Amino acid sequence: MFRARDIMETKFHTLSPHMTVAEAIERFKQVSEEKQRRVFGMIVEDEVGRLIGMLSMYDLLLLVRPKHAQVWGIMTDIEVSGLFEVLAERAQAVRVEDIMTTDVITVAPDTHVLHILDIMIKKHVRRLPVVSDGVVEGMVYLSDLFYFLVEKLSPTRGPVE
Amino acid sequence: MGEASRKSILSDATVKEAMRAQIVSLPANSPISHGIRHLIKYKINAVLVRGEDGSPVGVVSKTDIVGAYYAGIPIDAPLAHIMVSPPLFCTLGDSLESVLDTMRNQRVYRLYVREESDDSVVGVVAYPDIVGLLYGYCRNCDRSVMNRKKNLQDNVELRIKVKEVMRGSVVWFYDQDDLFRIMEAISEHRCGTVLVKNREEIPISVISKTDLILAYARGVPSETIAGHILSSSRVISCEESTLLEDAIRKMILTDLQRLFVWSEATENVVGVISLSDAARIRSGSCHACISSRIRVE
Repeated sequence: MFRARDIMETKFHTLSPHMTVAEAIERFKQVSEEKQRRVFGMIVEDEVGRLIGMLSMYDLLLLVRPKHAQVWGIMTDIEVSGLFEVLAERAQAVRVEDIMTTDVITVAPDTHVLHILDIMIKKHVRRLPVVSDGVVEGMVYLSDLFYFLVEKLSPTRGPVE
Repeated sequence: MGEASRKSILSDATVKEAMRAQIVSLPANSPISHGIRHLIKYKINAVLVRGEDGSPVGVVSKTDIVGAYYAGIPIDAPLAHIMVSPPLFCTLGDSLESVLDTMRNQRVYRLYVREESDDSVVGVVAYPDIVGLLYGYCRNCDRSVMNRKKNLQDNVELRIKVKEVMRGSVVWFYDQDDLFRIMEAISEHRCGTVLVKNREEIPISVISKTDLILAYARGVPSETIAGHILSSSRVISCEESTLLEDAIRKMILTDLQRLFVWSEATENVVGVISLSDAARIRSGSCHACISSRIRVE
């Protein structure tokens, strides 16, 4: 009972590679409201449900980050008309497949939780898809893993399974 | 030309002050599609290509990828097939004057930066980075528009206007023209963006190299008409008498490399101003320091 399948979330949301980034942003908003929990990354699947990438908050922020951030630091009058309209237009022109991360690290349903912990720390990832035969069965989130361990390590825990 | 007459605002500035430390690189066997994804994701114009031992062996820019699209090279071909080799380097302590000279002579838009002691690549410097540095100088200058309130007596005529720096030719196409012709024109005129007009001769949009490489990534045939890949429903522009520093500010804040320039009416587009043009004049944005620059290229 210390495997990925024991702590993974089986209800997860996905994105299509052909969605525009604007549509993906809307989906982040919807899913966060639906789950009552902020979503910071989603799996990208092809038409037959195979994992082809991951779109994270970081990928979206990269697109928004100003190219000349060092100049922004010396500016006080950064209000410019139409700034967010330009960004929104860019989000319409770029698709999920253009910016998603394709070298996604995955684990198997029977990967041990401490192995998952090690991967998450070493690779600086907060979520790992649980994949079996190319199909995503669930997601392990760092927060869920942490609270699973909190439960197991608590002095007031129940009997160890 | 002697050293004394070559003195400009950039003479004492070094690469270290303007460069970016983030280097996006890919192995030489990565497919072109992978290169496109990196260019879009990191909002850059070129990736450094590395050989099997990790050493830099070439550069692939948006221009090279547009060339591959034009030539019908498969999108999964390796970057090694289209890279420009070898990459050109400067060092941290080189003056920006010399960097601008090298970029002009070699007809490149960026140089990678090497650590002198061990030859490791530590950054990249491109025209827009140099403009960013100059813009910083202008912001701190007493003569700047931002500081004008405290210098009311200052003469606005000192400032450089967009029309003094812009390129006075505009490459444009109708929205019914095909991408193939547009790519030819971009290569011939060495421009990054073309203006798109409708049948009524009204400018309706632009097509940039970014739009073209995205079309390539999506398998859009090059005989497709421009109207099918327009990503914007407007032309971001400025008037020809706009102060150069205001145009630079607009480009910096909207992450654009260039603005179209109009005269008298927004439909009457008469030129293009780019961050590269602004860097090439090797000056800040007013004649107080332009008087000491070496030449307008």
